[in-house]
Amino acid sequence: MSSDNPPSMTTEASSAPPERAYEPRPSFHDELFDDDGTPRPLAAALMDALERLGPAGLDDAGHRRDAIFLQQGITFETVGEDGPSRERPFPLDLVPRILSGPEWRTLKQGLAQRIRALNHFVDDVYHGREIVREGIVPWSLVAGRSHFARAVHGIRPPGGVYCHVAGCDLVRDSDGTWKVLEDNVRTPSGISYVLENRVAMARLVPDLFNAYRVRPVDQYPQLLLAALRSVAPSADTEATVVVWTPGPMNSAYFEHAVLARQMGVELVEASDLVVRDEVLYMRTTRGLVRVHAVYRRLDDDFIDPLEFRPDSMLGVPGLIRAYRAGTVAIANAIGTGVADDKAIYYYVPEMIKYYLGEVPLLENVRTYLLNDPEQLEFTLENIARLVVKPTGESGGKGVLIGPTATDEELTRMAAAVRAHPERWIAQEVVKLSTVPTAGRDGRLEPRHVDLRPFAVFGERISIVPGGLTRVALEEGSMIVNSSRGGGSKDTWVLEDGESDDRAESRLPDPLPPALPDLRYGGWTGQAQQQQQDAC
Amino acid sequence: MLARIAHELYWLGRNLVRAEFTARVVDGVFQVELQGAAADASPGVVLGWSELLAMLGGVDERAARATREEALQQLTLDREAPASMRAAIERSREGARTVRDVISADMWEAINTSALTLRGDGEGGWLAPGGPYLSCQYVKERVALISGLADRTMLRDEAKAFLDAGSHMEAADMVLRILRVAFPPGDDAAAGGQALALLQAVGGFQAYRRAVPAPPNARPVARFLLFERAYPDSVAACVDSLHDALEAADASPRNSEPVLRLSRMAADLDFQRRTLPDEAEIGATCELVQQELARVDADLAERYFAGAATERRTTVV
Repeated sequence: MSSDNPPSMTTEASSAPPERAYEPRPSFHDELFDDDGTPRPLAAALMDALERLGPAGLDDAGHRRDAIFLQQGITFETVGEDGPSRERPFPLDLVPRILSGPEWRTLKQGLAQRIRALNHFVDDVYHGREIVREGIVPWSLVAGRSHFARAVHGIRPPGGVYCHVAGCDLVRDSDGTWKVLEDNVRTPSGISYVLENRVAMARLVPDLFNAYRVRPVDQYPQLLLAALRSVAPSADTEATVVVWTPGPMNSAYFEHAVLARQMGVELVEASDLVVRDEVLYMRTTRGLVRVHAVYRRLDDDFIDPLEFRPDSMLGVPGLIRAYRAGTVAIANAIGTGVADDKAIYYYVPEMIKYYLGEVPLLENVRTYLLNDPEQLEFTLENIARLVVKPTGESGGKGVLIGPTATDEELTRMAAAVRAHPERWIAQEVVKLSTVPTAGRDGRLEPRHVDLRPFAVFGERISIVPGGLTRVALEEGSMIVNSSRGGGSKDTWVLEDGESDDRAESRLPDPLPPALPDLRYGGWTGQAQQQQQDAC
Repeated sequence: MLARIAHELYWLGRNLVRAEFTARVVDGVFQVELQGAAADASPGVVLGWSELLAMLGGVDERAARATREEALQQLTLDREAPASMRAAIERSREGARTVRDVISADMWEAINTSALTLRGDGEGGWLAPGGPYLSCQYVKERVALISGLADRTMLRDEAKAFLDAGSHMEAADMVLRILRVAFPPGDDAAAGGQALALLQAVGGFQAYRRAVPAPPNARPVARFLLFERAYPDSVAACVDSLHDALEAADASPRNSEPVLRLSRMAADLDFQRRTLPDEAEIGATCELVQQELARVDADLAERYFAGAATERRTTVV
């Protein structure tokens, strides 16, 4: 993917003193340094602080970090070559990534717009299908998605919210513009690392925070809880909310536990839940207790063996019946996965125009839909410089990166695409931006990053400042998944006086209610009318 | 709280106490044996490695011929042997991971580091303490630290009550097991002799000296371990604490079978303390108490754990 930049160019000898030896990779956008190697104004204070700390200090803090993470059990398991899996501390890079306030606001608005459109789309797919009738999205494409759920046709969840939790992956191209790489609206994970990274940074390298006012991230669990409560169908009592995990064997179990603990709700497994008479209950030490809202962290397929996969041991029989009866809210709503699909992703800018009547604020990466014969031909001709992805997968599974693939892989992929063009999409290669990252001996080197901000949709959309920055720790690599040698960074959004966390633009001040015998608009309206009459 | 979580907490309590008792007993027997007390011809309670394995590891054919090295290996740092301290700590860690959102963060970290240290693979700079004495000492200290943290940092709600219930149940069970191995049925020689080794293994020597004026002979020692409510690890004290914990956890304790059964047991133990003739067979008394505790365990599962199997992880002798 990066073969056009031989590594020798980045390590070219320079006359600068060693502490300034950081050189951004040419033809990539570096977020903290200009092309000539001087820090951007935003990063100047950070670089000074890092210089005071020195490479040895940074390296030392790294060792302390590993010890603390192991002690607290913030680990993930990698399967070693000798068989048994080993627990490794989650690789947090101690150099933060910085986003300015105005930049973040633009991103936030773009994300909120996108999530609102996706939410409209899911609602539409299971009800009127207006967007299909308009001829914007073909029905065969929608119905052919693996996550399309026929079982929930016609069910509208409380508040009309489907995508309660969304995490869109954003990347930055070589000219610095933000683009959406994919939409995760099923069960996006990673928020716990955002929370833990901030705590760890404040403990390990407090000096870096000195010159900055960084917006906090720790309100996320409360935002999520409030959103879940707001959609829970509970009339008079405080709604009972639970987090549903597939179990301790799940790779994201740590996150499920963190969220449950910080929200102060129960972390349940399937064996704790039971449906009686279209109502969901959990088994407690004092008998059955009704559950009003479930934040589930497993896919539709496994959720109810009566409606989806009958062999699922993780599901609760009868859950869909309860859901259909409206006695329980499920987040994210069942069937949301239809919008979490790379073929649907192609249409999101269209959706924004169609449902919201707005111009998309965030661009898609240039994508080719392969069931269109012309685009298919183009892709097959240019497969060596494109990225080909399966539509229904996530986590980087089955992705072919043209520029780094062997001829054999390319031929095999071309055959697979030709056989089932509807299962694949092709995208232009994005030249991911870089951020300085601590190397082995504490020296800074450019590494590629992406960003996954987390949005919570309850009564309104809230987005936690920043999000999870994933970083490819290998030189030149653009694969940021933690299972494949990726790490993460703390993402700082700087305070700039606008403390408002609301993602939507501010609503106009409400007019005073009309008096019963006056026409709508109250005094204002009447006064205007009188003026008009006088004219 | 969730039935599954209550069940996990109960077993977390049991596993931690099991590790602690294993450490105490191994340490006790190790010391006694080093000083040649077991070889001494003086009549009384004999605790050797075979007895220890029979007591902690269930009935095993090989137990009869166990050497010191085998026994030490199986009871201390062998992860595969279910009766080892290390296995108990690893089970605690797995359980604590599941209930991580219920116990305090401090407590989880203490359990986690204990398990990592006993693994001793050097990762993160933790090294397993060398030798049986140090590793037993380490486990005793860590369990004391963990239970101290639980007392200081956990909310005193149902969760704490079930954790406590587990640890008291295990303590009572361990003491009863030790007594039954030390006083096999129909063996009067043991009952007549001295029982210093037994006291040292349970760890109550100092408490006994302060509470009982008599020398550490078998009968007064057994009565001390069964009936002395002022000693926290005696069966009577454990039954009392278990009763209190469940009474706190239950919404309607007056209708709760386990609570009612435990109050009857407490009264019965008090009654026996006063009326049991000196020459009564200790092993038989212990067996009755142990059977009654097994019924309490079954009641607990029925009433609080939604019928979860109680013998999921370890077999109760």
